[in-house]
Amino acid sequence: MKSKLTEHILGLIFVSIILLSVIFFFDFDSLQSSSPASSEAQLLSGVPITNVNDPFQQQLLQNVMDIYYPGHKDKNIKTVREIFRIREDQFNQKLQSSHVHEKLSLSKLLDLAGMYFKFLVIYVIVMVLTYYGVQTIAVWRFVSKKRLFEHRLAHEANPQKVPARKISRFLSSFFKVIAYMILFSPAYVIAYSIRTEFNTDSSIFMILLGLISNGLLVMYSNKFYAFLVAESRKGYVEAGLVKNLEYRYSFPKDRHGNPCGTIDWKSIVRPVKQFKCHIFDHIFRNAHYQYLSTIKEQASFLITGLIIIEMALNIHGYLNYEMLRQLLYKNYDIVLTIVLGIFYTVKFTEIITDFIVHRESLKYEN
Amino acid sequence: MIWVLGVAVLGIWDIMFLNKPALLRVTNGFINTIIICLLVVIFTLILSWGLTLGLHFFQYRKIRSGYIVLTFILNLVRSVPQIIGVLLSYVIIAALITRGWIGGAGVFVLMAFCMSVFIFMEMVDLMRERISHFTKLDFYNAMKVCGISEKRIINSDILWKNSRIHIFNKLISVFGSAVFLQCSVDFIISVGLSTGVNTVSMPVTLGSLLAKMDSKQDILAIGNTLFNPGYLPQLFMQHLQGLTVAFLIVFSLFCIYSISNGYAERHRL
Repeated sequence: MKSKLTEHILGLIFVSIILLSVIFFFDFDSLQSSSPASSEAQLLSGVPITNVNDPFQQQLLQNVMDIYYPGHKDKNIKTVREIFRIREDQFNQKLQSSHVHEKLSLSKLLDLAGMYFKFLVIYVIVMVLTYYGVQTIAVWRFVSKKRLFEHRLAHEANPQKVPARKISRFLSSFFKVIAYMILFSPAYVIAYSIRTEFNTDSSIFMILLGLISNGLLVMYSNKFYAFLVAESRKGYVEAGLVKNLEYRYSFPKDRHGNPCGTIDWKSIVRPVKQFKCHIFDHIFRNAHYQYLSTIKEQASFLITGLIIIEMALNIHGYLNYEMLRQLLYKNYDIVLTIVLGIFYTVKFTEIITDFIVHRESLKYEN
Repeated sequence: MIWVLGVAVLGIWDIMFLNKPALLRVTNGFINTIIICLLVVIFTLILSWGLTLGLHFFQYRKIRSGYIVLTFILNLVRSVPQIIGVLLSYVIIAALITRGWIGGAGVFVLMAFCMSVFIFMEMVDLMRERISHFTKLDFYNAMKVCGISEKRIINSDILWKNSRIHIFNKLISVFGSAVFLQCSVDFIISVGLSTGVNTVSMPVTLGSLLAKMDSKQDILAIGNTLFNPGYLPQLFMQHLQGLTVAFLIVFSLFCIYSISNGYAERHRL
């Protein structure tokens, strides 16, 4: 854990130093595009001219050029014209970008801090919801499959041919495909398709989109399900059966209402999942341990999803929309500040995940 | 198979009911997206194979400084959200195109390379996992005792002979990630940066097509249909461009995911 923490801290320091040096010491104005001009005109474009349209100043500069560079009258006329064109371009550009050009100031930083806080709150809420959703969906899927398998085994000797079953199977497959299509849709497709009927610019809608779109929930619940399946095939499951743990998934509650050894709806949807006296409790705990190490990846994917939602939907007053806006206006110092904030979010998530995985591994590893 | 069939059915429908210029744009967008994503897969494979070998040999020859530096850089890149990395690199590519420094096929290659830089870490992790799993087994030591070179054991016996199914499966999911990122970044650039970045010079992809005003209006029509179901038939006739693009994105993502899952189940990965 120590080495991992050192690496994370070094990464934080390294990136902070680089980005902060660029923000504070790099001249971003030099990146602004300017019209091509001869090197001489560029060199002399800094001469003090207060009014580019004043014929007196134009003539004065022409005379000065002729004194300094005698015998090059044509070239001097061309250079002076270019100097005035550059100055005029610069003036126009300044005028056009005066309402969009921003510098990183204390008030701007406070603005960004507010947006960053909002982003963090949404991120944490969606992260908690996906953490819960991934496990619940995977457990429900696993238990349903096991129950179906047990049901088929029990009725194998006398299989009932119900014609309605074919229709219900077809309908369930149809709705499954529709559900998958929605869950795999990028956030902007879902948002634009319902934009005329719903307000899609609220934080609640963002949370909902972050949760259901971009395939996040499907992919990670499928990963968790794969862990459950892999664990259920391991040897300790049989050892647990020998020790008289319950193994039936469709086992009803006993007459006294004793929940021990049963897997009911309550135990599946409970935030802290426990399946006491059932072999599935061990399967779940082992799968959960493996799932913890994928949270880093899930968090990074979630952040990518949230950034896409904010940017693609042009939601004003949100951090990533602000980044896109500043990128458009070429205020790169503000863009880099936002990038640094997002980098910190990812790094702190990685540190917390590593800490949780380390704490869990202390429980299981000798 | 279902993917190809679905796209083919959609293609026939579009040939019948979508106007020719729009059909040409959609076809171009789809082909460009697929080409870029295939290039991403190739670059990902090359980058990850090379870096895995680099990391392994630093570790094997006990060159700690090289190993630490390479791991540190990889972890730094990993901590940059993919969308930010790809977006910033696309902005740079657009600037290079505007200045006339790159053009034609070079744009595709550069776009694919930039994207693969932010995707290939998953593949490095997989390859390193496979190598560390096999080095713990007896056959690794047995082969070394037999005098087989380390290079051959890693490249041929571990990565090629015993891990190519895993690698191929990962490449399928890399392809899916590339489609998702490509469409999202192009959509964002077209919606948010269209005046700052010269989108005309960037290749047309499904994402940039979806961001066009007429496509967006087509998608907005879906919302209208939710509350006016009678509008449904017109959706498939009058709003075909946007619907086709959205369907191609969603259907492709869904199919790639299913292919990857099916492949993993078939080979019990």
